[in-house]
Amino acid sequence: MAKFKKTESGRNLSRILSKGYLDLHTRASQGAFVVWIAINVPAELFAGFENVVYGVPESHAAMNAGKGVGAIQCEKAERIGYSMDLCSYARIDIGCVSDNGKDSPSFGLPKPDLLVSDNNNCSLLVKWFEVHHREMGVPHFIIDVPFCYEPQQKKDRDYIIAQFHGLIQTIEKMSGQRFDPDRVSEAVASTNQGISHWKRFLSFAGHRPSGITAFDSFVHMAPFLTMRGTSEFVNHYKLLADETEQRVAAGDFPVKNEKYRLFWDNIAPWHQLRNMSDSLAAHGANIVGATYTSCIGSVEGSFDMYPYDGGDPLEYCARTQNCYICPHGLNLRSKAMRQAVKRLNIDGIVFASNRSCKPYSVTQMDQQRTMTEKLGIPSVMIDVDHADVRKYSRQSTFTRLEALIESIAAKRAA
Amino acid sequence: MNAIKRLRKLQGEGKKIVGCFPLYPPVELFYAMELVPVVLWGLTDAHTQTPKSDRHLQNYTCFVARDLTEFILTQGHALLDGIFMYNACDTLRNLPEIFIKETKASGGSLPLIRMHLPMSPQDQTDSSKYFNDEINAVIRSFTEDLGTSFSSERFEEGIRLYNRMRKLAIFAQHRVARGRMGFLPFADTMRNACFMPVGEQVSALESLLRMYPEDSGDPNDSKTDTGVILSGILPPPPSIIAAIESAGMRVVGNDIASLHRSYADIPAPESDPCEYYRDFYFHHTPCSTLLFSGDRRLQTLMDMVDKTGAMGVIFVGEKFCEYEYFEFPYLEKELRKKGVKTLRIEISMQDDAHAGGISSRIEAFAEMTAS
Ligand code: SF4
Ligand code: SF4
Repeated sequence: MAKFKKTESGRNLSRILSKGYLDLHTRASQGAFVVWIAINVPAELFAGFENVVYGVPESHAAMNAGKGVGAIQCEKAERIGYSMDLCSYARIDIGCVSDNGKDSPSFGLPKPDLLVSDNNNCSLLVKWFEVHHREMGVPHFIIDVPFCYEPQQKKDRDYIIAQFHGLIQTIEKMSGQRFDPDRVSEAVASTNQGISHWKRFLSFAGHRPSGITAFDSFVHMAPFLTMRGTSEFVNHYKLLADETEQRVAAGDFPVKNEKYRLFWDNIAPWHQLRNMSDSLAAHGANIVGATYTSCIGSVEGSFDMYPYDGGDPLEYCARTQNCYICPHGLNLRSKAMRQAVKRLNIDGIVFASNRSCKPYSVTQMDQQRTMTEKLGIPSVMIDVDHADVRKYSRQSTFTRLEALIESIAAKRAA
Repeated sequence: MNAIKRLRKLQGEGKKIVGCFPLYPPVELFYAMELVPVVLWGLTDAHTQTPKSDRHLQNYTCFVARDLTEFILTQGHALLDGIFMYNACDTLRNLPEIFIKETKASGGSLPLIRMHLPMSPQDQTDSSKYFNDEINAVIRSFTEDLGTSFSSERFEEGIRLYNRMRKLAIFAQHRVARGRMGFLPFADTMRNACFMPVGEQVSALESLLRMYPEDSGDPNDSKTDTGVILSGILPPPPSIIAAIESAGMRVVGNDIASLHRSYADIPAPESDPCEYYRDFYFHHTPCSTLLFSGDRRLQTLMDMVDKTGAMGVIFVGEKFCEYEYFEFPYLEKELRKKGVKTLRIEISMQDDAHAGGISSRIEAFAEMTAS
């Protein structure tokens, strides 16, 4: 069985996340300027202001799903007319806002002064933030990030940077606070340092047996979404990587009898982390890596770290805007996945077709064929909704996962 | 004549055809380059199932995207000389690579030219220069890939022709509103027109208007029907239109993306394409797919209600179109506050399977609206 021992980094994660939500509410109540952002908005920019705090609805929605209240929040949104076919993060967030954070483990997010969305992960996010813009009467700043089919072009980067300047001016005007670019450089340097520890942590997946499970990486993603540019961020990922290193050195592995090394494609199934991890471990299978967590701190087409060179922090932030899986096309996705699959000695790929997240899922059928053609490794497509447990069937998922494991075994035996 | 036959006819005439998506491509620009732009929607009668598309797109993608994919992968690549797309929804942006890969695999080649339409509102970021560069890049790409060249004279002529077509479409829409013609012949003509050169579009609309002449001028003509507005991405299927009209409702206005949202804008003639398209896009009639237009959407719909005296709005939801579905609850709420009745129906263009159930809801809505 996968070991879910409470580790020091696990305890630290709980502590910093609780403190983070508490601080957010406290500072908001003390008059800080509150921004709600989409996860890809470069949060380091807010470090350039004395008293700007931010909440991340997607991360908050994932937490709701992870704590088992995702479906309750979704239902609230559905009752006020939002279709069940819409992204479950959006439904959780809209449902949560509809009754001022009731049922949320963090009592929701403090009311924003400004909403900042972008369309790189998905355009849907802009529509989702528009809902709050209209219902709450709060201004909404939209960052438009051109999708890329090839590595990001300079013309697009310059356009993104121009929008960052527009955002900075908007906050200056609205909050009355002055922007200090040096503080942003420091924040970006901290993010870069934290990410290097994150990449070190992920690299233990290369060990046989793997030093980590992808489920660990899903859980520990949260600071990346809500604490970038801070010392807590750096310290947490250092602790996580150091601790994992020690455990690997001590021969302490999450799936000791690891027979099947799998790779995951799509958002984490937040409501199933423990269940899926345990059930796979019982078969000697471990999902050791995931596109979702590997892309952090990279640029499109590779999962290698894209380091900050100490130059213009806005340039760095703009350059990394397409790094997540959704903002770039099939060929780039496929290139990075092939590299990871080879590097981690993957036996099989789990494509989680996620009807709540079309930008991640459309192209998966082609991606699956490409992986079979180019690498000849087995894969399976399962149906998952990342945050709405009502749209998940454990039985059909495991029937398919078991079939994948059997086909890997059959391939080995052949 | 269905879409495929029309495309074959154009091909037989030696025309260079550019398939465009989504709905608001820079058609005058293509005209200026001696290309025939065809906006790729309403292809449903070209095929009834989507087996090729089903190998690439999950069943939770909208039928518009699946229909488009089926068309490109089956016939489109042999009928088109190139594809043009600009950024739209999260589904469409993932399609080009599938098209290119599959076309290559079947031994063909189809130049695909893309443009990024800035989606940030102009009062937040001035994207004029970026956008000008995008327009110029489109001209360059077509010149290189299809061996065409841009002519300012033809551009201005294209504007005149397309504006004429848009005006005729507005006339025809008024006739529908006044009960002089049904919504179906109007929607059908507009759909067929997509697969014609603009000159023929003008002729088709002129003959439609001749077929359904203006009324006697009596404003009370056909006043017995209850006026409703249809809103959605595509017009509903014929069976639903029939159900609406036979329930005693008249379509006095439409906020359909492939109809009114496409022809409502008649920008001032301009010889510089960059300037012309800045005006065209940045001041475009609000559409759920144009992210910068969000703040104007409700007011535009309210104005349409006031102007047409509509008693109700029927939202025709394209199944799985998140763009539209995010806006419905707010629009419905605000319309109801004004005493305007609303009905939301969900359709997937592929099948009429639920038409029966939808028809009963339409009848009930008609009764409620009339009372
Ligand atoms: S659709 Fe996908 S990318 Fe967009 S907000 Fe939902 S989960 Fe995130
Ligand atoms: S109907 Fe909606 S989801 Fe479908 S292609 Fe059009 S904008 Fe995209």
